[in-house]
Amino acid sequence: MIKGIDFHTHPLLVREMIARHPGLASAARETYYIGNNFQPLKSFLMELDVAFLEKAVVLPMDATTSRGKTVYSNEEIAELCAMSDRLIGFASVDPHDAGAPGKLTGAVEKLGLKGLKLAPPLQEFEPAGRAYYPIYECAQGLGIPVLFHAGMSWEPGSRLKYGHPLQFEDVAADFPKLNIVLAHLAWPWVTDAVALALKYPNVHLDTSALYFDNPRDFLTFAMTHQIPLTVFERSLRKQLLFGSNYPRVEIKNMARAVRGIGFSDECLDLVMGLNAERLLAGGRS
Amino acid sequence: MIIKLERIEVQSHKDMEMIDITGDVERVVAESGAREGMVFVLTAHTSSGLLVTEGIECLERDVLAHLERLAPKEPPKDAGYGYWHNRYLDFDGRLGFNAGDHLKSILGGTNCFFPIENGKVVRGSRQRAYFVEYDGPLARTVMIQVMGQ
Repeated sequence: MIKGIDFHTHPLLVREMIARHPGLASAARETYYIGNNFQPLKSFLMELDVAFLEKAVVLPMDATTSRGKTVYSNEEIAELCAMSDRLIGFASVDPHDAGAPGKLTGAVEKLGLKGLKLAPPLQEFEPAGRAYYPIYECAQGLGIPVLFHAGMSWEPGSRLKYGHPLQFEDVAADFPKLNIVLAHLAWPWVTDAVALALKYPNVHLDTSALYFDNPRDFLTFAMTHQIPLTVFERSLRKQLLFGSNYPRVEIKNMARAVRGIGFSDECLDLVMGLNAERLLAGGRS
Repeated sequence: MIIKLERIEVQSHKDMEMIDITGDVERVVAESGAREGMVFVLTAHTSSGLLVTEGIECLERDVLAHLERLAPKEPPKDAGYGYWHNRYLDFDGRLGFNAGDHLKSILGGTNCFFPIENGKVVRGSRQRAYFVEYDGPLARTVMIQVMGQ
């Protein structure tokens, strides 16, 4: 078994960071509505151990215009990553900020962040809007992947329409060298997301989807009933990445669900880590 | 009358784990100054437990395995039942799919107590106090309260 990567975690509960930046506590509660107890960083790292994973991508969110706050700034993500070499920091920028490309460049070149996270429903923007193309142009030039929230959003006030997979088609078509990851299998629009990934090799999906039942039963529904598992195994094995959406879902539970769904060992190695490694290195599927 | 409440943090390292906290209970009693009385121990979390049993690894494994059989994290696909708890909990911002862990907590218990005599915890020679993790790894809080004189 390879040492894998969780491509989708939110470090909302890390007690050491909240002690340094108390505003993170209310931001996590009020923006993500997460009610779990705050935990020492070692609990997060042990979550990875229990799931047999080596590293995790940690995601910030810049919702300055839409919500008046960031939930982890890029600087705070870099500060967190300095606490453990098992954490891979992504940047976020406010898409409504004309200075976003410059801030993204700084986050990558000065802070060492490895990708970009955008959440159109939370940040309230249409991803295909031409006003946001300079951000994608910048990310493509930097050689970093862009992880988009796609599919349903729980947060009150967010609009589902901004997360529909077809919102991302223009971006995929107009930036063919930009690696795009649609999070959460874009559920409930899994069929549309799969269509996009089949058509555009630069479109990837992450597994961080749980909207009812438990991870095992939900993923069985989404990845074997909504779409046959063979489609993922045969056609999209290099475009599917493991993600948990921690702390909405414990890493151990999502990892057990993905490993148990019926993939071949070769496919699992790709999904659980090799695809993420390739994207983080700027490679294509 | 002495009443002392101490909260200790117990860090679990696994999904399910039994952690011997007898030493913490004895320390709190010793530091309280109580010569006669009782000590109560309670976990603060509903997917964890407190129980008293013999302190040997084989039995720890059997306790956890038996509780998992009684209240599995995921019922077998052919079990014919599911958990009502598997739904979105808006107050938590997430789904609650750990009903099995809550049920284990109920089955195994969430508290224990020991008498205090001559300033010492009175327990059977093989009895140990365990914090039991059913949904770790997590940093957990256990309350230990001494009441005595």
